[in-house]
Amino acid sequence: MTPHSPGTDQIDTLLWIGFVAATILIVAINGALIYAVRRYRGTRGSRASESVTGRRSQLRVGAVLTAFAAVVFVLSVIYTDKARETPTTEAAGLASASSEPLTISATGQQWLWRYDYPNEAFSYYKLVVPVDTTVQLDLVSTDVIHTWNVPALAGKRDAVPGKTNHVVFRADEEGVFEGDAATLSGQAYAPMRTAVEVVSPAKYQEFLKAQKADIQAAQDRVVGLIENGEVP
Amino acid sequence: MIAERPEHRPELVVDGYPRRRPRWTEIATSADHKDVGRVMIGAALGFLFIALVELLLMRLQLAVPENTMLTPVTFNRLLSLYGATAIFLFAIPLALGFFYYLAPLQAGARGTALPRVGQIGLWLYLAGATVLYSGFLFTPSEAGVNPLAPLSELAFLPNNGVDAWAAATGLATLGFVLLSVNLVATLHGLRAPGMAWRRLPVFAWAAGVCSWLMLFIGPVMLGAISMLLIDRNFDGIFFADGSGGSPLLWSHLSWIFFTGAYMLILIFALGALAEIVPVFSRRPLQGRRVVTGSLVAIAAIGTLAWMQNMLTAPIGIGWMYFAMLLSLALIVPFGLIFYNLISTMVGGALQMRAPLLFALGAVSAISIGLAAEIEHSMVAVAWRLHNTTDATAATHFALVGGAVFGGFAGLHYWFPKMTGRTMGETMARMSFWTMGLGTLVAFVPLFVAGGDHGEVVDAYKFFSGTGVSTLNLIATIGAFVLAIGILLTLVNAIFSRTGGSRAGHDQWGGDSLEWFALSPPEPHNFDVLPDVRSERPLRDIRVAIAHRDSPAEPEPAARETQPVA
Repeated sequence: MTPHSPGTDQIDTLLWIGFVAATILIVAINGALIYAVRRYRGTRGSRASESVTGRRSQLRVGAVLTAFAAVVFVLSVIYTDKARETPTTEAAGLASASSEPLTISATGQQWLWRYDYPNEAFSYYKLVVPVDTTVQLDLVSTDVIHTWNVPALAGKRDAVPGKTNHVVFRADEEGVFEGDAATLSGQAYAPMRTAVEVVSPAKYQEFLKAQKADIQAAQDRVVGLIENGEVP
Repeated sequence: MIAERPEHRPELVVDGYPRRRPRWTEIATSADHKDVGRVMIGAALGFLFIALVELLLMRLQLAVPENTMLTPVTFNRLLSLYGATAIFLFAIPLALGFFYYLAPLQAGARGTALPRVGQIGLWLYLAGATVLYSGFLFTPSEAGVNPLAPLSELAFLPNNGVDAWAAATGLATLGFVLLSVNLVATLHGLRAPGMAWRRLPVFAWAAGVCSWLMLFIGPVMLGAISMLLIDRNFDGIFFADGSGGSPLLWSHLSWIFFTGAYMLILIFALGALAEIVPVFSRRPLQGRRVVTGSLVAIAAIGTLAWMQNMLTAPIGIGWMYFAMLLSLALIVPFGLIFYNLISTMVGGALQMRAPLLFALGAVSAISIGLAAEIEHSMVAVAWRLHNTTDATAATHFALVGGAVFGGFAGLHYWFPKMTGRTMGETMARMSFWTMGLGTLVAFVPLFVAGGDHGEVVDAYKFFSGTGVSTLNLIATIGAFVLAIGILLTLVNAIFSRTGGSRAGHDQWGGDSLEWFALSPPEPHNFDVLPDVRSERPLRDIRVAIAHRDSPAEPEPAARETQPVA
């Protein structure tokens, strides 16, 4: 999975650190296990030693393990803090958003994501954002817990009813990035997917206008139908 | 192949007369800790089989992309049943069953302190199992392994499935708490003369640690379940957002229990390994006090790290770092136990019998699972890996390693004590290698699917073109291989119960007091008890007998005191 946001870049690095740490432990433990089994398999006449390891070697192993855990902890804190940093919008991004992030509300509902843009336009399933612009998603939920998950752009975050959670990312490339929901939310949990379409700032503004016009046209049509008595 | 064994068996042999075999009604209605323990172990192994069937059905659904074999609702029901069965009806009761059978014997007690309390514990567990599976007749829960509120609230799942789940797990948990009450009372009050805490076998220590742990986490879960039932049936607002309730409250309370239960299962397995590895290495356990201390540390630190399951939830970053600190601190006690188990084998004369094989499998699988869990507790990595199949794989490596490999190691080791028969060795070997292969083939692909491709858990289907089709097919094949391996041991146990070769009273040359009793033990456990003067009372007796028979020979390892047999 290629990261396309500064935050996911850090997550990727830390993932590799974690992978190396886990591999070291797995190889050390299983290697020692295989060595012990091959070397000390009992044969007729072989005697087991009754010796007991002393306090010193216990302390030494304990110290090594503590140091290992401490290093992993410190590295995790460093890279997690880096991943949490709010990136700044670059020159190529949306001009008006340069000082603070472009805030879009993402609402989880069974079983579709709804995105509300600053100009009151909204979209379902697909989120459109400008490239090189810092975007903050305010995650809320109208029913059960959902997890917003587009791994190329940001880490997972839960949308919990009654609380607001935040996702911040800055997409570095135009394209479409997909993701699944990641907390069981009922029957249609598996197909509850989402896509983020990263476009140029100009296209983003066009999209907002077009989307708003479309919504207005649809509303007008429905109101017209009701007024004409075609819909009760 | 087999190292020299001491000629002299210290046990008392009084089986000159035919022993009456108790009828099943007598076993089922007995309050004796051995009968309760046997019924629990048997029932737990039965539910292992049922959990396997549910797992295989889900794996079949996930064998090919966009499969339509199961409907989403059926899949969610199977998932919920599988979770409840594997945790509440298999893993925890298996651990408690072994503890309940063996800890009083190992402590040199002639019974338990509160036998009726333990008996009602067994019946509450069986009642919970009955409720869960009678729920199958109408509508099982669809809310998943941990039925997170508000999905488990009445508004979103209006049928009575979640109520059945809550009642079932609540009854079972209450049973576990009562069994733990009795175990704690027995271990604190009824140890044999001379059986100081420092001489208590590590497995009995694990029993004490797990019982105390259950006394802390069980009531938390019971509280959460009661709140859920009040919410669903009496218009409660505990987990409802907007009226003063909080959905995250359920997450916190349930994760305290599930994380504690995870630790309980691992402590059980490590306690059993600390008995088996020294016996089959013919060498004393290294760092006994370090190992027992580590078990206590795992119970305390591990349970307090419950928030490592909630790293994507809206909780403060400080709490996330707190959870990560505690999770990573677990590297030390787990590492020390692995170190001492392996250094017990180094310098030994290993007898590669079935119990040791399964014990080695358990060490290997648990180490892989826990090492992978390290990644899941690193905050930023959890934002990537949380709820992916990478988490499924890590949890299954640790818990299959603990409950299945560790449980089977204990089963093969103590089966002669419980039944007077030995389990078939050839079948045990076949089962072990099949299970080992199956575990790797079933769960390593899930590591890749979750870690590299971000496949999410609990989904009833995955989509083609996401790069995980082959991996899932391999995982399904592996799950079937694993299931065959497990079935071989279950069949082996059933047939060995009556058809296995007769076992001695001290089948493996063990050092702890359960091997001083007959196989199977009398209802009162011991006719006489040896005076316990060290942590290896049976070895003391062997040495004393050897010394008595050939006084000219110098004592191999002299101790200051001679126990009276």
